[in-house]
Amino acid sequence: MERFADLLIAAVLLAGLYATMAYGLGLIYGVLRIVNLNHGGMIMAGAYAGWYVHETLGLDPYLSLLPVAAVSFFAGILVYRLLVRRLPRGAAGGVQSLLLLFGVWLIVRNAAYLLFSGNDQTLRTSYATRAVAVGPALVSVNRIAVFAVAIAILVILHLLLTRTYVGKAIRAVAQNPDSCTLVGISVERIYALTFGLGTALAAAAGLLGASLFPFNPTFGASELLKSFVVVVLGGLGSVAGTAIAALILALVEVFAIVVIPAYLTAAVGFVLLVLVLVVRPGGLFGQRVLG
Amino acid sequence: MRTPNLVCGLCALALGACKQPSTDQPKQPAQGGSAPASAPVASEIVIGATLPLTGAESRIGGFYKEGYELAFEQATQNGGISVGGKKVPVRLVLLDDTSAQATAASLADRLINSDKVNFLLGTYATNLVEAQSVVAEQNNIPYVNGGGAATAIYKRGYKWVFGLLAPVELLAESIMKWVDTEQQAGKLPKPASIALLWENTSHGKDFRKGVSEFADKTKNYNVAVDESFELNGKDFSALLGKVKAARADLFLADAHLPDYITMQRQYVTSGLCNKLVSYGARGSEKQAAEALGKKNVEYVLSAVWWSALLADKNPEAKKFVDAFKAKFAGRVPEWYQALGFETVRALFTAVEQAGSTDRKAVREKLAALKMPSLLPGGELTFPAEFGQQSHAPFVVQQNQPDGSAPIIAPPDSATGKGVAPNPNCK
Repeated sequence: MERFADLLIAAVLLAGLYATMAYGLGLIYGVLRIVNLNHGGMIMAGAYAGWYVHETLGLDPYLSLLPVAAVSFFAGILVYRLLVRRLPRGAAGGVQSLLLLFGVWLIVRNAAYLLFSGNDQTLRTSYATRAVAVGPALVSVNRIAVFAVAIAILVILHLLLTRTYVGKAIRAVAQNPDSCTLVGISVERIYALTFGLGTALAAAAGLLGASLFPFNPTFGASELLKSFVVVVLGGLGSVAGTAIAALILALVEVFAIVVIPAYLTAAVGFVLLVLVLVVRPGGLFGQRVLG
Repeated sequence: MRTPNLVCGLCALALGACKQPSTDQPKQPAQGGSAPASAPVASEIVIGATLPLTGAESRIGGFYKEGYELAFEQATQNGGISVGGKKVPVRLVLLDDTSAQATAASLADRLINSDKVNFLLGTYATNLVEAQSVVAEQNNIPYVNGGGAATAIYKRGYKWVFGLLAPVELLAESIMKWVDTEQQAGKLPKPASIALLWENTSHGKDFRKGVSEFADKTKNYNVAVDESFELNGKDFSALLGKVKAARADLFLADAHLPDYITMQRQYVTSGLCNKLVSYGARGSEKQAAEALGKKNVEYVLSAVWWSALLADKNPEAKKFVDAFKAKFAGRVPEWYQALGFETVRALFTAVEQAGSTDRKAVREKLAALKMPSLLPGGELTFPAEFGQQSHAPFVVQQNQPDGSAPIIAPPDSATGKGVAPNPNCK
């Protein structure tokens, strides 16, 4: 029973990280129909940004979450305005966008090599190895904090998309950009805003990931793959679906150790992905228009 | 229209991620290969090498580079190495294999066939050496490495591959021998249960074999958890949950440095505290203490191929430590730099003994090499019965609360006493 509780807590906390990693990817795909391959690059950039601010200014990683996300938001808008906007509209979700954003990812990764070398870095905080008792299990303070941030992002994102004018505009553009133009919504502006928002979420996820694991410029690649699995499982364009899919993926991965060797547990998520694509191609929660 | 685009991207990434493991490389070298260089005495000896200067193993790759550079610098200061009665300058062509197997293999091919190097020095990490050594064997070029420890590399019957790292099985056995001494002294339970975690590489498999065989032989240990994990893993919480449930006495893992740091952080936050903890060859690294805090790496046991503390008893080790400190502002070298340095020295010695740059002659001298060494035991050989892999003994170290990591075994090299069980466990 104690072991079940341990595994359950581990899965729930891991789900928080997976969800945070996937929100940005899902949002950009839901609205722009673009697979943002630079999502991994921004996860890595967020990790380095948090680490750099911590090392130079001594700012706590969780306090630097907002500034890092804000800077990344504008970086995302810049990438959209300079590059993504120039893609042919009809084929925006096609091979061109994959190649373009993969190229951006390579540039970001190599810039990190140039600036920080390939050495592993860790965020060294006073509470990095501190734990608190949650029921029968001892749980890392960092993991709880990451989970809390994941929940906060879910709530904020949901409120933004359902309660604000901008959010409603984002959903409208996701549904039918041409009609939005007719009713006076600036589609270009919404695209830029969404791309910036997705980029900020990726950077925030990277910073949170860095508080748990060592990282180097290759950080973000496996996180991008996990994000794909979560987004496809949850159904494209569904924020709540993303969160639930993250929980399912984490539960499956963590509990898989009971029946299969530990080194195979990472593959379980991909098996799940294939099964979902075959049985329910729209994702477990169907294709929705955000929210 | 939406899903196919996403799936397309996913497939592209998955293809990239599914790099073929080294086992897909040809196991047997092609017969023939390129002809050995035949110039008896060249005007310059060019030695090719790759190291993981970027990527997951970049930090360690940098350490090996320091060892290589020191050895080449010393040779250059001496006017080169003596070949056939005259001093010949030596030059190192060092490339970055980015910690990737495919890159390590293709760069070795480039060094041999495009840069026309005379000999090759190996890269670091078993998986990279495993892939790269195939290329050296195919091209009949002496390949001396100080970074591949798994016996799988040397069991292929290769003639041109020489390894300075003694097998990981021996490493595991060295740790177990010290554990056994403590058990015989009544400090550890008898029988003791072991949680055995190993990275899913030939390195990890050798570690597992070493511990399991020792446990079977002595009958005083039972392996309660026997699990492998992926190299460069991120989340070990489920695995550590299994360890916790088993309530094992000893926690013995085999991990590379990044996994050691990640796993030990999660180990500490899970509230685990076994009577003895070891991560194989990792434990005493400064980076780990910096990343985790000194308190969280106390009493971690490690067995390594070399320690700077050997300088008190081994003149070759002392010469190296002094030279290293002089070059690197007083910094104390770790086993990585020492092995890098000694790898170059072994190759230089063989070339000097051969008296030419003829690859076959140098290979024969390497096979028969017996030189005073900075390694524990004081002598370096590449025994044919072990596939030309050195079997120099290991030194066992244990991190102490004052930040030191004295050698605690074998007794003839010991500089301090080990502590068991871990006094930090309540």
